[in-house]
Amino acid sequence: MSLFSALSVSASGMAAQRTRAELLTENLANSETTRTPEGGPYRRQDAVFETSPQTSPFASVFESELNAGAAGVQVSEIVQDSSAPDKRYIPGHPDADANGYVAFPHINPAEDMADLVSSVRGYEANVAAMGAVKDMISKSIDLLRT
Amino acid sequence: MLGPLSTRIEQYMDLLAARQKLVAANIANIDTPGYTSKDIDFQSEFNSLVQGESPHVIETPGLLMKNDGNNVSLDRETRLLAENGMRYSVAENLLRSQVLMLRTAIREGNGS
Repeated sequence: MSLFSALSVSASGMAAQRTRAELLTENLANSETTRTPEGGPYRRQDAVFETSPQTSPFASVFESELNAGAAGVQVSEIVQDSSAPDKRYIPGHPDADANGYVAFPHINPAEDMADLVSSVRGYEANVAAMGAVKDMISKSIDLLRT
Repeated sequence: MLGPLSTRIEQYMDLLAARQKLVAANIANIDTPGYTSKDIDFQSEFNSLVQGESPHVIETPGLLMKNDGNNVSLDRETRLLAENGMRYSVAENLLRSQVLMLRTAIREGNGS
C-alpha cells in the first residue's frame, strides 16, 4: 500500500530536518569557541539535503512508476564553512597569536537562528503530513468496523 | 467485490493516496536544493484510471522557483494535505455505506 511509504517519506524529512537543527544549535553553542581537536577555531557546519527513494519494507515487490516519483530526503553531506576566521585583538588571550589577535569562528548568530526557525517549520510540516497520512490509513482500517 | 460503484470509490481512494504520498514527498524535500514540486493531474488521471491506466506524475506548473532551484510551496502543500484528507474521508464514508448494505443483505438472509 503506497500510503505506508508516504509515512517513510515524512519520517525521512523529519530525520533530515532534525540533523540540520542539531548542526545549527552546535554552531550557536560554539560561536565563541577558539579551540577544537583539529586545531584552530570552530568552523560553522551545515547539512546538504538530497532526494532519496523511500519505500516501506514490504513495498519492494510492488514497485511501480508512481513509487519512483515520490522521493524522501536524506543528508548527503555535512559541509564545513571554509571562510577565514574573524580576528579580534585580545593580547592577553591564551590563544592570541604573536600580534595579539585571536581567531574566532566566522558565525553570524542571526543567520543560524533564521535557519533554525526554517528547520523547525519544516519539521512541523512533516509531522502534519505524517498525521494526515496516518488518519487516512486508520480510516481505511476502520472501514470494516461498524 | 461489492460492485462497480465501490470499484470507482476504491480507485478514487487509491488516487488520493498516491497524491497524498507526493504531497508528503514535496514537504519532506522543502529544503532540498534543485528539487521541483511533483503532483498528479487529478481530474484527467481519474478518468484514465477508470479506463484502466496507471497514474502519471507531473511537475507542478506555475510555481515560483527559489534561489536554490527548489520550488516547493508549503502553503500549497498543506492545503492539498488537508484537501486530500477530507476527500478521502468522504470516499471512505461512501464505501462504508456500500459495505453496510452488503452486511444488511447478509444479515437479512440469515433468517429471523
